[in-house]
Amino acid sequence: MTDREIPPPVALAAADAPSRHHDLRARDLTLGYNGVDIVHSLDLDVPDGKVTVIVGANGCGKSTLLRGLVRLLKPRSGAVELDGQPLKEWNSTEIARVMGLLPQNPVAPDGITVADLVGRGRYPHQGWFRRWSAEDDAAVEIALAATHTTELAGRTLAELSGGQRQRVWIAMVLAQDTDLVLLDEPTTFLDISHQVDLLDLLDELNTEHGKTVVMVLHDLNLACRYAQHIVAMKDGHIIAQGSPTDIITAEVVQDVFGLPCQVVPDPVTGTPLVVPLGRSRAAAPTAP
Amino acid sequence: MALLERDPAPAAEAPDTHSVIVRARLLRRSRTIGVTLVLAAVAFALFVGTMMIGSFTVTPWEVVRATFGFESDGGINYVVRDLRLPTAATALAVGLAMGLAGIIFQRLLANPLASPDFVGVSSGASFFAVGSIVMLNFQGELVSVAALVGALVAAFLVYVLAWRDGITGYRFILIGIGVSQFFLAGSGYVLSRADLYNAREAMTWLVGAVGQAGDTELRVLLVSLAIVLPIVFVLSRQLSALELGDDTAKALGARVEPMRVALMLTAVVLIALATATAGPMAFVALIAGPIAARLVGAGGSGLLAAAFVGAIIVLTADLVAQHALPSQLPTGVITGAIGAPYLIWLLVSVNREGRGG
Repeated sequence: MTDREIPPPVALAAADAPSRHHDLRARDLTLGYNGVDIVHSLDLDVPDGKVTVIVGANGCGKSTLLRGLVRLLKPRSGAVELDGQPLKEWNSTEIARVMGLLPQNPVAPDGITVADLVGRGRYPHQGWFRRWSAEDDAAVEIALAATHTTELAGRTLAELSGGQRQRVWIAMVLAQDTDLVLLDEPTTFLDISHQVDLLDLLDELNTEHGKTVVMVLHDLNLACRYAQHIVAMKDGHIIAQGSPTDIITAEVVQDVFGLPCQVVPDPVTGTPLVVPLGRSRAAAPTAP
Repeated sequence: MALLERDPAPAAEAPDTHSVIVRARLLRRSRTIGVTLVLAAVAFALFVGTMMIGSFTVTPWEVVRATFGFESDGGINYVVRDLRLPTAATALAVGLAMGLAGIIFQRLLANPLASPDFVGVSSGASFFAVGSIVMLNFQGELVSVAALVGALVAAFLVYVLAWRDGITGYRFILIGIGVSQFFLAGSGYVLSRADLYNAREAMTWLVGAVGQAGDTELRVLLVSLAIVLPIVFVLSRQLSALELGDDTAKALGARVEPMRVALMLTAVVLIALATATAGPMAFVALIAGPIAARLVGAGGSGLLAAAFVGAIIVLTADLVAQHALPSQLPTGVITGAIGAPYLIWLLVSVNREGRGG
């Protein structure tokens, strides 16, 4: 029996619906704002059941791509297809039961409590007249437990630390009970230990709850460590994609980020570790 | 085998956290309901109270009986139904409408300054109403129609000017202040062209007084309140998604643009008809929402509570304006006197928190 097969806490496993398979792909997708194209006729198959991380330099279109995948941006041409059907042919509530999103700068009303915020993730499961149900209570409870925020339920969001707040937002997305979870730079305002905490949590959601995770990350080394599939973008195109070990090489990093570096195995996980040379010192590398 | 081993533990543990969370939710809900009921009772007590006081004192029971048409004494019926009920009903309805409109704007734009007073809706209604009175000699329901058109024109202007890939509260408020000034200047121009009698009438109207309401305007307001209240209740679910920002709301499956327009429309209709009935009662829409939110507590929805707080403010202001001071004043003077210090406090505290209003 390997580590992976250790059963998750039962309260979660029992109530979690078995994960369904979904097929999210971009076909010849062009996205942009105000008449300027940012993502150019791009094709992408999001691997089902994996953690996919999109990386690239500032302005390469990685957040734009993520926004396109969850229909926050309409394609200028091409399409995003979910289970073989373009998103525009889907009912927006149906999409919201399959894909959840944590945007880059989520906003919450003043004075809202954690439980209330997480409960609002139930929106697509409620209707004009079908309000709160026992099922909603159960979903909120699962989401809080999965993000280890149960004991924060009664606090207001303003009282929480940055790391706790981000967990609570993820709990809200989890309460939505979707098989796909997309996150736009979820670690941006966190210090290094909270970044690792959060990525561990997302890894847990993938391995134990079967969520397909797609996120944009800035930190290449953390991306290499947590991604099962990495998508490297530059100027609105995908330069390389695949498992981190296969594609993150000094050449790709040089190409994508314009950063001279060495790539060595991470001493902890063996995944690629990018060591920048730094422009001023690049001339005098010390050979091991 | 593994299943059998771990079955008993969660059965003991899971309902525990479950019940804690459920109990917390029920507690919040019962607080919201409790506070709303108390506010409703206070509003009703004030509504009855205003009709008791005057040169001829009436008992509460007589007021209630006369209001609902069960009083046989002709004198009491005359005092209550003909003299005092129109004013009291106006204060109640105007307060409900303004409180509700205020909190819808504030929650929709995620900013306590985003009251219809500031974003041009009230001044648009005022400009069209004053213009129609002074220049077209409109009366009765025609003034209501003019105010409604003015509020819609102002709201549409602000919405279109502020729209840039969605609406942000900050842009909306700044543009609203500009549009508001434009219509205020317009009202000033119209007044300067009016003859003395009309100008004086219009000025009283502009300050706002519940005693000036005509029967028709009041009836229009009451009917539209009866129509709009259920709509607001249905839309409150959308409002709680929209509050999380456009991106999150869209990801949750909400149809952001139509729902925001629908919510704003209901608020604009309410504020326009209330303004047409009693004038732009200063600050009621601004202060009702935050007071209600504080009473209901974190996580409460507070729409109805804000409506009742609005009614309480206007009824109290009317009581003070009519009876507590040596000479009678327009209601709007009192709400202004309460509201202005609150606004200053709000600006100071919002700035201190660095949210930049």
